Amino acid sequence: METIREIQGYAYFGMTVVFVIALYGYIVYLYKGKKRGMDYEKYSNLALHDDLNDQILEARNDEEKDSSK
Amino acid sequence: MFHWLEKNPFFFTVVLFVVIAFAGLVEILPNFAESSRPIVGKKPYTMLELAGRNVYIKDNCMSCHSQLIRPFKSETDRYGSYSLSGEYAYDRPFLWSSKRTGPDLHRVGNYRSTDWHENHMKDPQAIVAGSIMPKYPWHFTNSADIATAFDEAVTVMKVFGVPYNKEGNPTVPATFSEAKAEMIAEAKEIAKDMKDPGVKAALENGDIKEIVALIAYLNSLK
Amino acid sequence: MQQSTAVSYDYTVARWFTYTTIAFGIIGMLVGVIIALQLAFPALNGIAGEYSSFGRLRPLHTNGIIYGFTLSGIWASWYYISQRVLKVSLNEYPFLKLISKLHFAVYFVIMLLAVVTLWMGISTSKEYIQLEWPIDILVVVAWVLWGISIFGAIGVRREKTIYISLWYFIATFLAIAMLYIFNNLAVPTAFVSEGVGAWYHSVSLYAGTNDALVQWWFGHNAVAFIFTSGIIALIYYFLPKESGQPVFSYKLSLYSFWSLMFVYLWAGGHHLIYSTVPDWMQTFGSVFSVVLILPSWGTAINMLLTMKGQWQQIAENPIIKLMILASTFYMFSTLEGPIQAIKSVNALAHFTDWIVGHVHDGVLGWVAFMIMAALYHMAPRLFKREIYSKKLVDIQFWIQTVGIVLYFTSMWIAGITQGLMWRATDQFGNLAYSFIDTVNALHPYYAIRGLGGLLYLIGFFIFSYNMYKTMTVGKELTEEPANKTPMSA
Repeated sequence: METIREIQGYAYFGMTVVFVIALYGYIVYLYKGKKRGMDYEKYSNLALHDDLNDQILEARNDEEKDSSK
Repeated sequence: MFHWLEKNPFFFTVVLFVVIAFAGLVEILPNFAESSRPIVGKKPYTMLELAGRNVYIKDNCMSCHSQLIRPFKSETDRYGSYSLSGEYAYDRPFLWSSKRTGPDLHRVGNYRSTDWHENHMKDPQAIVAGSIMPKYPWHFTNSADIATAFDEAVTVMKVFGVPYNKEGNPTVPATFSEAKAEMIAEAKEIAKDMKDPGVKAALENGDIKEIVALIAYLNSLK
Repeated sequence: MQQSTAVSYDYTVARWFTYTTIAFGIIGMLVGVIIALQLAFPALNGIAGEYSSFGRLRPLHTNGIIYGFTLSGIWASWYYISQRVLKVSLNEYPFLKLISKLHFAVYFVIMLLAVVTLWMGISTSKEYIQLEWPIDILVVVAWVLWGISIFGAIGVRREKTIYISLWYFIATFLAIAMLYIFNNLAVPTAFVSEGVGAWYHSVSLYAGTNDALVQWWFGHNAVAFIFTSGIIALIYYFLPKESGQPVFSYKLSLYSFWSLMFVYLWAGGHHLIYSTVPDWMQTFGSVFSVVLILPSWGTAINMLLTMKGQWQQIAENPIIKLMILASTFYMFSTLEGPIQAIKSVNALAHFTDWIVGHVHDGVLGWVAFMIMAALYHMAPRLFKREIYSKKLVDIQFWIQTVGIVLYFTSMWIAGITQGLMWRATDQFGNLAYSFIDTVNALHPYYAIRGLGGLLYLIGFFIFSYNMYKTMTVGKELTEEPANKTPMSA
């Protein structure tokens, strides 16, 4: 029983450290996105321009066309 | 990485599920390994006690009373020795509760008697001045559901191997009519210490009131 | 397509869920006030025999608020938001529309059965999951229907990218499905025995400590995924939309979503006593857990910063005010939660009214405020009428805010008093108080809590009246408002 507890303790510690590194690495990656020409912020407009007749931000069909090429 | 997922809802859902389920598995499963093996000498509930336990659940006693004595001196002084995992081995469901508006009941059978419970359930304020517990007059008129208790005992015996009918343990007979006779005999033992004439008269006619079953259960908490 | 083409969003089911949000809100909160007053004035338990006792009513209150009020609010918003951010109308897809109507119908039947059975005392005893197995099966059906609705709508969407709110809806869907099923596993007694007793009775698959583990794995995370992720879904749509401001940082929202998903279930490992693991590791484990809690605040920070430079809107627009107060309470109660989870604090707080206080500043301040703001925002779009009275929204806001403050301050004091009195000893080391002393000491706080709850309920009645008037006599609108919700003075 103690060994299971112990493994659980080490696993818990290990996973926590991995999550911290992964998540903080992720935010650095996101903020560096601009240099790669990734503009994430435009997706905020999904909420603001949400009428049926509003311009579609990124249509799905384009993607399908692209991939079928 | 993650951003790609919002355009691909299928993978989004899969990844999300893994994340959510994973932590649960890691946290829950190892503890299951320490499965609640009954402590030595722990006996399963009798059918009448199970019926009483179902009254306890029906009227949601656990919304105000815990059954979990924590290992602090202030708690063991007040309620008796602290609770052990193996003591709950026959508790389906567990009734630890999350709130202690009234005192803990895990060992109430050690320090309260049948007649104390009888008077207290009728009128708590008459026994404990300032108590905010409701009165339970319907426990003296509603019949305990002993048929469901019988079903429950049979189920836990067959499905989970609860050791009924073993030496020194309570019995669960093959048919309900035998079971009913056993429960009435047990109820009469308890009713000896009770005063309410209605409850006693009903018992003579083979009708066990909720209060008798409930007291049987409370007395079993030791 | 030209603007004149007739397709428009279909809000039928959103309207239905709006009605049930209000109805279950009234029922749930009314029962809440009654049971709060019963603790202060126990004679109230006797007004309707066994059907008015605290024990029978409490599940009606908790289930009514969680599954009645909150889920209705979440689903009203789901059927509104999902069409809009995916740019798909249910009018174009009769199958999805039918599913959404079925979803509502099954849900409504479940709620009626729930009220009746819980009131009768038919219960599995597990908190927030008291319903017996026949109703549980219906719940699974309702959940599957919602799942079809979610993934069906996503399958036919026009926008490639899925908006933030929908991530949180999906999280709610997945997590609750998993938790609900595992915690409900039980053996119906009628299948094994002769079935002489109640046919709907069942025995939990888990016993004792294991049952407790599964129950609180469910209990903690059901709260997480209904009251947290379900409501975050709402605020990510309604606050930007109502204010006309884009979310302060989309990147931060991405980040805080994934960190919340990791953390909520994972960092709950605070209850692990990892015996033989080195001390320094245990310490670092706790430190990192705290580091992980910070990003889950990202949501609240993101919401407050969305209003950057636009703070005058709080004064002008009571709906914004509701939402900003809601996100403030979110920060507050997500800070309070981890504090209560610290071992030494928990030793004091567990089993006391402080826990009750914590739940309520989350639900009254964050959940209910956000849902009411969402309904206020949607009403003019759903019913094509202006909000009946801005003044009433303001009055409601202040009455309810005072109610919350009374509620949580009284429960803090009550809980800590209770915890301290239970452990107090005299000079010889004997317990200083009998249990009834601690009960008597709490009476004034229970009375104040009852008053706080009553004020909140009054505010909710004002809200319901305002909504009713909006639906029936509000000034008619010719076109859909873009951002700020129009209100008559």
